[in-house]
Amino acid sequence: MKNLPSANPNYALQLATERRKNFTSWILTAPALLWLIFFFLVPYLIVIIYSFLTADIYDVKFEFTLDAYRQSFTPAYMHTFYLSFRLALLTTLLCLLLGFPVAYYIARAKDKVKNNLLIFIIIPFWTNLIIRIFSWRIFLAYNGVLNNLLLGLGLISKPLEIMRTDLAVILVMVYVYLPYMILPLYSVLEKLDWTLLNAAMDLGANEVKSFFRITLPLSKEGIFAGGLLVFIPALGSYLIPQLVGNQRSLYLGQVITYKVKNIPRNWPMASALSLTLLLIVALFLLLIYFLYRRGKFRKQV
Amino acid sequence: MKHCSLGRFFKGMNLTVFTLVMVFLYIPILILIIFSFNDAKIITGWKGFTFKYYILLLENKTILEAFRNTMLIAGLSTLISTILGVLGALGLEYHKFNGRKLFSALIYVPLVIPDILMGVSLALLFNFTRVNTGMLTVLIAHITFCVSYTIIVIRSRLEGFDYSLVEAAMDLGAKPATIFWKIKFPLIMPGIIAAALLAFTLSIDDFIITFFTSGRGFDTLPIYVEGAIRRGTITTINSLSTIMIGLTLLLVVTTKRIRKIVISSL
Repeated sequence: MKNLPSANPNYALQLATERRKNFTSWILTAPALLWLIFFFLVPYLIVIIYSFLTADIYDVKFEFTLDAYRQSFTPAYMHTFYLSFRLALLTTLLCLLLGFPVAYYIARAKDKVKNNLLIFIIIPFWTNLIIRIFSWRIFLAYNGVLNNLLLGLGLISKPLEIMRTDLAVILVMVYVYLPYMILPLYSVLEKLDWTLLNAAMDLGANEVKSFFRITLPLSKEGIFAGGLLVFIPALGSYLIPQLVGNQRSLYLGQVITYKVKNIPRNWPMASALSLTLLLIVALFLLLIYFLYRRGKFRKQV
Repeated sequence: MKHCSLGRFFKGMNLTVFTLVMVFLYIPILILIIFSFNDAKIITGWKGFTFKYYILLLENKTILEAFRNTMLIAGLSTLISTILGVLGALGLEYHKFNGRKLFSALIYVPLVIPDILMGVSLALLFNFTRVNTGMLTVLIAHITFCVSYTIIVIRSRLEGFDYSLVEAAMDLGAKPATIFWKIKFPLIMPGIIAAALLAFTLSIDDFIITFFTSGRGFDTLPIYVEGAIRRGTITTINSLSTIMIGLTLLLVVTTKRIRKIVISSL
């Protein structure tokens, strides 16, 4: 009888402790969990419901329709998706191209200098987003600082029209998201085993070769993390195209915002577009996840 | 020899890109600061030094109110999301309960989807439930996007936690409450401070989610600034921005000190 777990007083005690621990854990996590359920998950259910309703000028009518989805897949909205995708991709690539040398430079600097250099990256990162965008408006404006400078130097004969163009949007996007790329890249490069690089050089590999064969593959994690941190918010950005872009080429974030905020409102449309964006983000995350897994698997082999 | 020059080229390229990126990151901000002292209504050129717009700023009731709203929302959402974060992180770490993995996954979801989606979904929630948008709805929204960050930051601190300390204390007859306040709490304190700081910065910085959840008459600073840019009242925005950049610098410098103090006190 002694061997049966139920007759073992020790086991009963263990079970009781287990239950008590379980209960305590639940009680502790309950507030945060309930908060996220009520204010994060439930709102998405409402978005799903609204996407099947009929639009009204100020509100929605509770009549089932697929109109919102039908409209989302018309060429005009497909073009919006295409523009946003292109912008996000271009931003990510440019951030990687500029961010990698910077992260590399800081990671290879002397320990004392490193932290000071990092602060220079962190300050803009902590400065208010809208102020950073606004500063570019002053810089790029038709009668702004850049144009005055170039005119003064005689390099141009009439002011460049950069403000309110796609070029301005991409410039400010890169400016805003660059620290999000540099910081994860730096944290990977900082931990990189540089002796590997020296060994490769001793064996006769040149810098270019050892960079593509060693440094780049080993910093894959940082590239993925940075890519996520830049690409996903870039897909749904509103403020940057709104403040420095033009109204001829609208991006997804702007279209969704207008449908929610401007009269006549079209909440079903905003919902359908939001859900499509969510689906794209989910697919993108899955893709990154599989690429990452495959990389890890290869390393193990 | 070829080897050597190529290495130098690589190093030189990194330094060049680094310098160019620094110029790129700081030129617009520096110009903004300089022009906040410019005695001109528009930004065409330098018309002389003035403090005029700083004084105008302090006399502007709308800006002062927006500032007060920003601080109020940031303070309250930091407090509440940090408490939720401490409890959540402790609960997740304390015991491997059923559904723990699902909850962990749920925490990360808000971080990997665009902010605008949270804005839209909360706007529709408040419409559906017929809640009037204003201070309360903005506060709810800010807590919602902060809470994931606070749980993650505090939890990462708990992950490195040395449980042999707790066992030793238990062996010596310490009560659970004593163990918590004397051992666990001091050890996760830096995590709590870091989490609170992050929540505070996120809250002050947010535009888009606030834009979707605030009603007319409740402006935070980013909302006010966006409106002012659209209306074209630029000069006070320069001085307001300069003050906010100054506060950011102060925060970066002082938190470095706080971190040092916290680490050295352990």
